[in-house]
Amino acid sequence: MLPDSNRCAALARERVDVSITSDERDADRTHGPAPASPPTGRPGLLGTTLPRRRAGRSRSGVAAVAAIVLAAGVLVWRPWHHDAAAVTAPHADPSVPGTSVSVGGTDCGQGWTGTRTGLQRWALVNTDIAPVEVYLRDARTDRIYLDVENLGSGASRAASATLGPGTYEFVCLPADKGPSYGSPRTLSGTTPATVTAPTVPITSAELLVPLRQYHDWVAGRLPRLLAQVRRLDGDVRADDLGAARRDWLAGHRTYETLGAAYGAFGDFDTAINAAPGPRDPATDPQLFGFHKVEALLWSGAPAATVGTYTRALVKAVVGLERAFSAMSLRPIDIGLRAHEILEGAIADELTGRTDAGSHTTLATIEANLTGTEAALRPLRPLLAAAGFDGLPAIDAALARSRQVLEAHHRGGRWAPLDSLGRHARETLDATLEQTAELLSRVAVVTDPRKAM
Amino acid sequence: MTESSCPAHGVSRLSKLSRRGLVGGLGAVALGAPALARAAAAEGPSASPSAGEPRPASAYPFHGPHQAGILTPPQRASAFVALDVVATSAADLATALQSLTSVARFLTVGGLPPDDGLTATSWDNGVLGPEVPADGLTMTLSVGASLFDDRFGLAAKRPARLTRMPSFPNDALQPERCHGDLLIQLCAHNADTLNHALRLLLRSTRGALAVRWRQDGFISPPRPSGTPRNLLGFKDGTGNPSTSDAALMDRLVWTHAGGDEPAWVEGGSYHVVRLIRMFVEFWDRVSVLEQQRMIGRDRASGAPLTGTHEFDDIDYAYDSLGEAIPYDAHIRLANPRISTTDDQRILRRGYNYDAGTDVNGQLDMGLIFACFNQDLERQFATVQRRLVDEPLVDYVSPVGGGYFFALPGVRDRSDWLGRGLLS
Repeated sequence: MLPDSNRCAALARERVDVSITSDERDADRTHGPAPASPPTGRPGLLGTTLPRRRAGRSRSGVAAVAAIVLAAGVLVWRPWHHDAAAVTAPHADPSVPGTSVSVGGTDCGQGWTGTRTGLQRWALVNTDIAPVEVYLRDARTDRIYLDVENLGSGASRAASATLGPGTYEFVCLPADKGPSYGSPRTLSGTTPATVTAPTVPITSAELLVPLRQYHDWVAGRLPRLLAQVRRLDGDVRADDLGAARRDWLAGHRTYETLGAAYGAFGDFDTAINAAPGPRDPATDPQLFGFHKVEALLWSGAPAATVGTYTRALVKAVVGLERAFSAMSLRPIDIGLRAHEILEGAIADELTGRTDAGSHTTLATIEANLTGTEAALRPLRPLLAAAGFDGLPAIDAALARSRQVLEAHHRGGRWAPLDSLGRHARETLDATLEQTAELLSRVAVVTDPRKAM
Repeated sequence: MTESSCPAHGVSRLSKLSRRGLVGGLGAVALGAPALARAAAAEGPSASPSAGEPRPASAYPFHGPHQAGILTPPQRASAFVALDVVATSAADLATALQSLTSVARFLTVGGLPPDDGLTATSWDNGVLGPEVPADGLTMTLSVGASLFDDRFGLAAKRPARLTRMPSFPNDALQPERCHGDLLIQLCAHNADTLNHALRLLLRSTRGALAVRWRQDGFISPPRPSGTPRNLLGFKDGTGNPSTSDAALMDRLVWTHAGGDEPAWVEGGSYHVVRLIRMFVEFWDRVSVLEQQRMIGRDRASGAPLTGTHEFDDIDYAYDSLGEAIPYDAHIRLANPRISTTDDQRILRRGYNYDAGTDVNGQLDMGLIFACFNQDLERQFATVQRRLVDEPLVDYVSPVGGGYFFALPGVRDRSDWLGRGLLS
């Protein structure tokens, strides 16, 4: 999470970005298939703060407004669409292999002379004064076969694609201008044994619908979480530590469905669910939250000691619930979360690192699977529309992961991780790794891309 | 007969094949090989190949009747990775072996990685740059006895001599470093090539195979000449049967169909891997004279104590009282040089390892003893038993490894590793 002052700035910028992206999409409508309507209510609530991995996707408001105006005219007028023969294109750096192709705003696609199917290798050179993003798209569909982003002004970069018969054109998207288009080129010849797998760009605006659905799902779980930790606190006050251990597990499992992996809840996550460090978690003065309570409940600490921490846990969950409605999720987050929740489980749970005494690691991983499915669910329509073919394999892997976990859940009890025999442990590790591997494709396809 | 029939414990096991010896197969002849002795004497002090020396090949053929990485001149870097199969059907196992085959087929030739498209993360991890060099990579895939349990219905196809590796006297096997359904032996000229390959191979079999244990190894350059030294400071592997002698390989290395062996084993080989810890702190506190008595060789030159040069012949008839090479010296026990031990020779292909430190602060290093042989019992196990309680056992300790069977080779592009076993 960003510091507060930055977050305000980001939210303010966000409101601009959301409307821009919508306008871009409007401009695009006359060109491609009609997109899903962007959400109208609560702009900024589900804001795009600065993307964590993909800095450079957000733009300043002023430049973006200019982009809207210019982009709106593109389809009719295409002021930057030049014939390749008309201008002598600047040449890419000779050290970069492939056919030199200019990809600035005014000379997009110049230099590409391809006529035959098969492997195409280009040396893209950005002739613009701004960084540029470059697509190669099928001229008759919205499918893109190449996405090169963050190509700095004057820089050359190697790119390639293996193409079948069809008509293709470069799309150049300088950071400060609308898109421009290269001359379409028609490739003929045989279809290669394997061609580059295309995708349809998914924009930030399109991601706002699933983002809000996911946000609402998490928000809907928070009252349940709060009730569970209050019950836990009540058990401890009543000195019923047996009930407290049961309610600890219920609350912790709910929290582990929420996709808090990799800092999504910032300081709240530290207060609620920080992992035990190298010191004894029962006595570590730096540790709070579920794992502190766990260490005390499972090591025979008196209720009075535990109560200090269950009260603090309730307070932290109250704080999270209050703050969550204003917490911004970025469009890139939801696709990342679809595999990062499980990446976190592999790194932190399968190593036993987070077990402070309850030996309920497998229950935690099962909750993480629920969280993964919740992040994936609202993305399914967009993935299908983009032609993504990975969902059947993902669903099979998720089902298999549950099956492998459930084999260690008998009579209402989860087996301790270290009680698994060697083959069972290897099966669990390998199954979760495979599932994460398949889920990582979701983040690739739902990476927010600019409208063409 | 050569000394190569010996080694099971820590010494004299590293394949003698220095890079220079390898390409011509010279390194394989131990005794009565004046040409090799001359070649060794002519070697310069530098570890880098000099002008007249054969350089290692940049690529080794993937297709053939046998797998590469067996007779292939040992590359400088290795990775030994034991895996267990977590796939639950023979069909899924076959798919995994096909994946290993196709990835290895690409990597051992090199070139541009497959197109990633826009719907997946990058197939290649980039460790070797945008265009993959072969860099002398070989992958040798072997199967362990546990693969032939009831999971895949393969019991009737088990190679006749393949068992779970027993614990020999003096062994201190750690269960977490032993056995496995499969063993991948990767070898290449550089360690980054192994890293690149291992990650791609494991990624291509996610959900079907799980790593059980692994150990990387290296071969030192000749210091200053001749056979590379092990981490005890001795030249190790002076004698190995000649890999260029096809008839000899047929008798000592390759398994053949017929008798009690199933038909599919033709062209394979039993593959023994032993992780042998060396207690180097203790060893360094032993006088060189005592070290030499334990090994039977001069530490500086590598010459047998009966001789002057590394490759001098050993004739125990002139040392019948053990006054030059003691009766219990490693090389004398391992290879007594009598006619009845001739068919016990094995093809060693070992690597040094260096794996950090132990809990008491001592360095964890030693030898990845690896060898190929036609008959585990007749060859490796027989030699191993002769070495029981030799003086050297105080300084070395076998802690892991296993018995495996190296599959027959991949014939062509339509073939795959394990096809004969699984179809």
